[in-house]
Amino acid sequence: MTTTTAPTTETAPPPRRGVGAPREDNGMSPRRRTALTGKHLLLIVLSAVSLFPVILVISTALKSEEDVRTNPFGLFSSFSLENLQNAWVVGDFGSYLLNSILLSVPSTLLVVVLSTMAGYTFARLPFRGRSVAFYLVVLGLLVPFFAYMIPLYFQLRGLGLLDTLPGAILVLTSTGVSFGTFFMRAFFSDLPLELEQAARVDGASEWQIFLKVMLPLVSSGAGALGVFTFIQNWNNFLVPLLYLPGGEFRPLTTGLYQFTGGRSLDIGPLAAGTLITIIPVVVLFLLMQRQVAEGFISGAVKG
Amino acid sequence: MSTPISLTTPKVTRRAQTRLGIALISPLMLLVIVFFLFPLGNAIYYSVVDFDGIDPTPAFVGLQNYTRLLTDPEVWHALGNNAIWIVIGTAAPLLIGLAQALLLWKVRNAGIFYRLAFFLPYVLPQVAIGIVWGWIYDPVSGWVNKALHVVGLDQLTTGWLGNPNTALYAVLVTAIWATTGFVLIIFLSALRNVDGALMDASRLDGVNAVQQLWYIILPQIMPVFLMVTTVTLVGGFSVFDIIFIMTGGGPANATNVIGTYAYTNAFQLSQISYGTTLALLITALSVPFAVALNRLQRRLSLQGTGA
Repeated sequence: MTTTTAPTTETAPPPRRGVGAPREDNGMSPRRRTALTGKHLLLIVLSAVSLFPVILVISTALKSEEDVRTNPFGLFSSFSLENLQNAWVVGDFGSYLLNSILLSVPSTLLVVVLSTMAGYTFARLPFRGRSVAFYLVVLGLLVPFFAYMIPLYFQLRGLGLLDTLPGAILVLTSTGVSFGTFFMRAFFSDLPLELEQAARVDGASEWQIFLKVMLPLVSSGAGALGVFTFIQNWNNFLVPLLYLPGGEFRPLTTGLYQFTGGRSLDIGPLAAGTLITIIPVVVLFLLMQRQVAEGFISGAVKG
Repeated sequence: MSTPISLTTPKVTRRAQTRLGIALISPLMLLVIVFFLFPLGNAIYYSVVDFDGIDPTPAFVGLQNYTRLLTDPEVWHALGNNAIWIVIGTAAPLLIGLAQALLLWKVRNAGIFYRLAFFLPYVLPQVAIGIVWGWIYDPVSGWVNKALHVVGLDQLTTGWLGNPNTALYAVLVTAIWATTGFVLIIFLSALRNVDGALMDASRLDGVNAVQQLWYIILPQIMPVFLMVTTVTLVGGFSVFDIIFIMTGGGPANATNVIGTYAYTNAFQLSQISYGTTLALLITALSVPFAVALNRLQRRLSLQGTGA
C-alpha cells in the first residue's frame, strides 16, 4: 500500500479518521485515482439531481414578481424579497408559521415525555398486565393511521375537539407515542442492572432511580426522538387537513396546499411559502443529521 | 424481552415498581385508548352500518359495504395503481439506493456532503415536494419539458401531471426521488457491518467487484435489504399525501389509489361507512407485511446488526 501525493486536489483524501469510514485507507495507483475522480463526478451529478428541487424553491422564492411571471423557473435570474413579503403579508404565512410551531412543539414534547415514561416502564418495571399494555401500544406501529382516521374525525367532533389546537396536538401526539415508546424502551433496556441495584442499596426510591439515575443516561435517545418527532409533526399533512378544517389554526403544510389552488401568478409567493415551510426542517436536519438519521432509521418500523 | 429484575427482588421493591410503572404508563395508555383503540373499534362499527356523518343511529347493513367494495370497479383500478406504486416504488429506491450506497461506501472526503444531499429530500414535507415537482412537470416552462426540448425530443413533451397516461408515473418518480435517500442511509449503516477482512481476503484472491457484491456484500446486508423492502412495501399500501397533493387522484381517477379513493368517499361524498371500509382494506392488506417487518426487525436487533 502506497500513499502518493495527489495530482489533483479533488480526489486526494489525506489519510484521516473519516466520520463514516471505519475502514483503513487503500493505497492508490493512478488508475484508481482516475476511477475515484469519475466516482466523485458521478456523485456530484447525483447530488445535483437530489438537491435540484430545493434549489428551484430557493431560486423562485427570491425572484422579482416580474421575473416570476415571464420566466418562473429560470434559476436565480433576479433577486428580490417581494415574494417573501407577499407570502408573509398577503398569503398569511406568518400565522401559518405560528400555527405550525403551536402544533409541533407541544406535541413533540408530549411524545418525548410520555414515551420516556412508558419506555422505562416497559423496559424495567415488571408488573402484571404490563405485556398486555405493551402489545396495545405496539399495535399502533402496525395499524396505519388510515384505519381509524375517519372515525376519529367524528369522535373529535363529538368531544368538541375538532378544529381546535388541543385536539390536533393530542392526535399528533398519539400518532407518535407508539414508535417513541418502542424507541425509548430500547435505550432503557440497554442500561446495566447493577446501576439500579447499586442505587437501591444506597436507599434510593424507585422514583429517584428513574429520575436521577436512569433518565440522564437516555438523554441522547430522547434528543434523537425529539428531533425526529418534531420533523414528523412539522411535516404532517393529514392531521391538520382532517382535524383543522376551519382554517383558523391552519399550519404551513395545509396552508401551502390551500395556496396551490391559485393561479400561476401566485407562483412567487407560493415558492416563498414553500421556502418558509422547509427552512426549519432543513436547518434542523443539517444541525442534527446524526439524530435525524437515527430516528428515521429506527422509525422505519412505522412504515 | 429482557426483564432486568431477578427473582430475588424483594416484595417491597416489587410493589414500589408496580406503583411507579402504573403511574408512568397511565397517561400513555389513556391517550392510546382514546385516540387509537376507540376509533379503531369504531372503524369496524362504521363498516357494518350505513353512516352518512349526520345520523346518530345509522342503520345496520351487515357486510354490504364489503360486498360493494368487491364489486366496485374503481376499487380494483385503485388497487392496480397501488400495485404499480408498490412494485416500482419499492424496486427503484432499492436499486438506486444500493448503487448510491456502494458508490459512497469508501468515500471519505466530502462523503458527509453527499450523504446530506441524498438524504435531504426525505425530511422535506410532502406538500413542498409536491409543489416543486409540479413546477418541474409544468407543461410550458417546466424543466422536464425544457430538457426534452434541448435534446430534441419535443415529441415526448407533455403535461406530465395532466396526462392520464403519465400522471401516476410522474408522481411515482417524485416519490422515488424522495425515498431513495432513506434507503441509502440504511444501506450505508448496514455496509458498515460488512466484514472488512473478508473483503480484503477476497480482493487478494482476485475476486472481481460483481462477485464481491453478489457473494460477500449482499448476503451480509440481506436482512437489512429485506427490512427496507418491507418498509417501502407497507408504505405503498397507504400512500396518500403525495398523490393527493400532486393530482388529487386525477386526472379522471388516473392516479387514484385506495387511500385517495377512501378519502374522497368519506370526506367529499359523505359516504363515511364506505370510506372507512376502504381504509380498513388498506389495513388488512398492509398489516401482515408490517407484522413480518416487526419480526424481522426484532431478529435484526437480536443479532446486533440492527439499523
